[in-house]
Amino acid sequence: MLEVLHALLFSTLDAVPALVFAALGAVLSERAGVVFVGLEGMMRVGAFCAAVAALVMPMSLAVGVGMLAGAALAAVHGFLSIRWRSDQVVSGIALNLVALAGGTFLLESLYGPNGTPALPQAARWDVPGLASVPVLGALSGHSAPTYLALVLPFALQALLTRTPLGLRLRAVGDKPHAVATLGLSVAGLRWGAVLGGGLLAGLGGAVLSTCVLGRFEQHTPAGLGFIALAAMVFGRWTPVGAFLAALFFAFGDALRIGLASSAPGLLEVVPQGMLQALPYVLTLALLTLQGQRSSAPAALGVPYEQESR
Amino acid sequence: MLRLHVLALAALLCACSKKEEPPPAGAPGTATAQQPAKAPIPVGLVIDVGGRGDHSFNDAALRGLELYAAGKRYEGGKYVDASPEEIRQSLPPFLASLSSSIQPLPVKPMVLQSKAQEDYAPNLQLLVDQGAQLTIGNGYMLANAVRTAAQENPKSQFLLIDSQVLDAQGKVLKLPNVRTVLFKEQEGSFLVGALAGLVTKTNKVGFVGGIEVPLIQRFEVGYRAGVKTTNPQAAQALMAVYTGSFNNMAAGKQVAQDLIAKGADILFHAAGADGIGVIQAVKEARAAGKSVYAIGVDSDQSHVAPDAILTSMMKFTDLAIYQATKDLVDGKFSAGEQVVGLKENGVGMAEVRVDFPNKAEALQKVDALRQRIVSGQLQVPAVPGDLATFQAAAP
Repeated sequence: MLEVLHALLFSTLDAVPALVFAALGAVLSERAGVVFVGLEGMMRVGAFCAAVAALVMPMSLAVGVGMLAGAALAAVHGFLSIRWRSDQVVSGIALNLVALAGGTFLLESLYGPNGTPALPQAARWDVPGLASVPVLGALSGHSAPTYLALVLPFALQALLTRTPLGLRLRAVGDKPHAVATLGLSVAGLRWGAVLGGGLLAGLGGAVLSTCVLGRFEQHTPAGLGFIALAAMVFGRWTPVGAFLAALFFAFGDALRIGLASSAPGLLEVVPQGMLQALPYVLTLALLTLQGQRSSAPAALGVPYEQESR
Repeated sequence: MLRLHVLALAALLCACSKKEEPPPAGAPGTATAQQPAKAPIPVGLVIDVGGRGDHSFNDAALRGLELYAAGKRYEGGKYVDASPEEIRQSLPPFLASLSSSIQPLPVKPMVLQSKAQEDYAPNLQLLVDQGAQLTIGNGYMLANAVRTAAQENPKSQFLLIDSQVLDAQGKVLKLPNVRTVLFKEQEGSFLVGALAGLVTKTNKVGFVGGIEVPLIQRFEVGYRAGVKTTNPQAAQALMAVYTGSFNNMAAGKQVAQDLIAKGADILFHAAGADGIGVIQAVKEARAAGKSVYAIGVDSDQSHVAPDAILTSMMKFTDLAIYQATKDLVDGKFSAGEQVVGLKENGVGMAEVRVDFPNKAEALQKVDALRQRIVSGQLQVPAVPGDLATFQAAAP
């Protein structure tokens, strides 16, 4: 039993970082009022650039390259949605499509269709003394991003709720005109949030290709960006909420896998297809419990215009 | 997504408007009369959502059409000529004798990837409209799309891999212009299962499937039967988990990590691109000092991680596609249903390139089982219901 719990926890923690980073990126941008549908595309670009970079440079630098690549795509989104006030959903979807096709095109022209060569493996950290503790030992033996993913949500939460900058970022997503009357730049704050979101999205993608998959193949990230968006909504646009939602999604996945392998008797009663729906059923159940209060930023998706009210 | 469909529709409309042109001359029979110098015969292939580069099912089909039939290699978005050496190397040792019979044919491959299941039908029609004399649907997911295309284009020939053509009621439909090829995956899976049963040290082995459909179940059932034959104890403890997809590497990795954590030391996957994640997990576990192996599927996947791949259950869709293309070129293409197994070189076990204790003895036992299947003495079950009653003497 303990062994099963251990496997469940380990699997959850190992799979979750990319999802957490991407969800945090979305929270940052959307709290400042800019819809972040292009998350999947930014992850893809980050994953691709990090994988290419990891072939020639140390992994930590390569992850940095992936983050910058995510921010570069976010800059396009920022340019369209902040500078030109275009529809943010359309811009995001367009970026997703560009990243999907562009990624495949570049991959095939650089490495052929079989994906990048396998990357060097990320180091795993053993927490001294913890590895032999039952169940809690699952906290040990992950690569660095997992530990970062356990800390970063709280840091971002503190930034958003405990600092003047955080107050301004939140205000610019709820009442941008009020921020403007204080003499602050709405566009500047939103730019910062979008670029920061892009960095985090790129980090999510980079972690996926360098630490989790060990390569970039043409489906990466296979819809993870959209799940991250769902985690953001589920977590009510707060960093810690999104983190818990991401953990919950990853746990749901790990649970259904763990059930299938640990309880073969169950499979004779419940088809695996039903089991595969488990994470979604759990999500639906929780959403029902959560109630219907919407917590989206008031000015989300509304381009800021000085003259409008 | 909507936008994608609109684009696809636009492409389709453009293609349809060209329909007025007369189709390329006549029946496939006249094609043989053409001189090689004339335009090559267009042959279309629609691969499923796993896409090019899955190191597995789609790549096998592409190899059949591009490398074997056309003698080309796809590189950087265009075709370059391949050498006979490449063809020889792509065949397992026990089929090396075939390499001389695989000669490039005067065909022009036209390949379309499907990004979503909605793409299958328009992709097939597009290839027909572009003059493909033979259009290949690679995978059971294309069965309905091939049925529609074949009924709407009675003058074109079709090849459907891995499935029969079914009508709306699920009954088998015989169309005069469709050849279907089914593989006895259970026979090849039986062999790799038998080997897994002999090699496992923990007496726990695992199976990672993609989507749980009868096709993938044949892999699982054959594998279970093989393990049961050589190691009944391991068959009891066998863990089989389905990822629910064929294009999500991360899901495959997560499943494999779980199985390894629970003590499995050999994992057989039949999960398309998810399987690359399985192999990745095995590779990482090996780096962490565990003695685990993965068994690849459809193509020889040894090159993905040479140390970590015990063997692969190969499915020679490439040879089936080559044969159909050759029949077309020779004017001998016939509709109908083919079922190929170990005996017909439809499936097989790839060369074992890693070393383990008592390797020679294990391989000998597996080969003895192979011969019993080829000679018909041993019937490998294909559906889960037949597994309980299956009994075979250990080799």
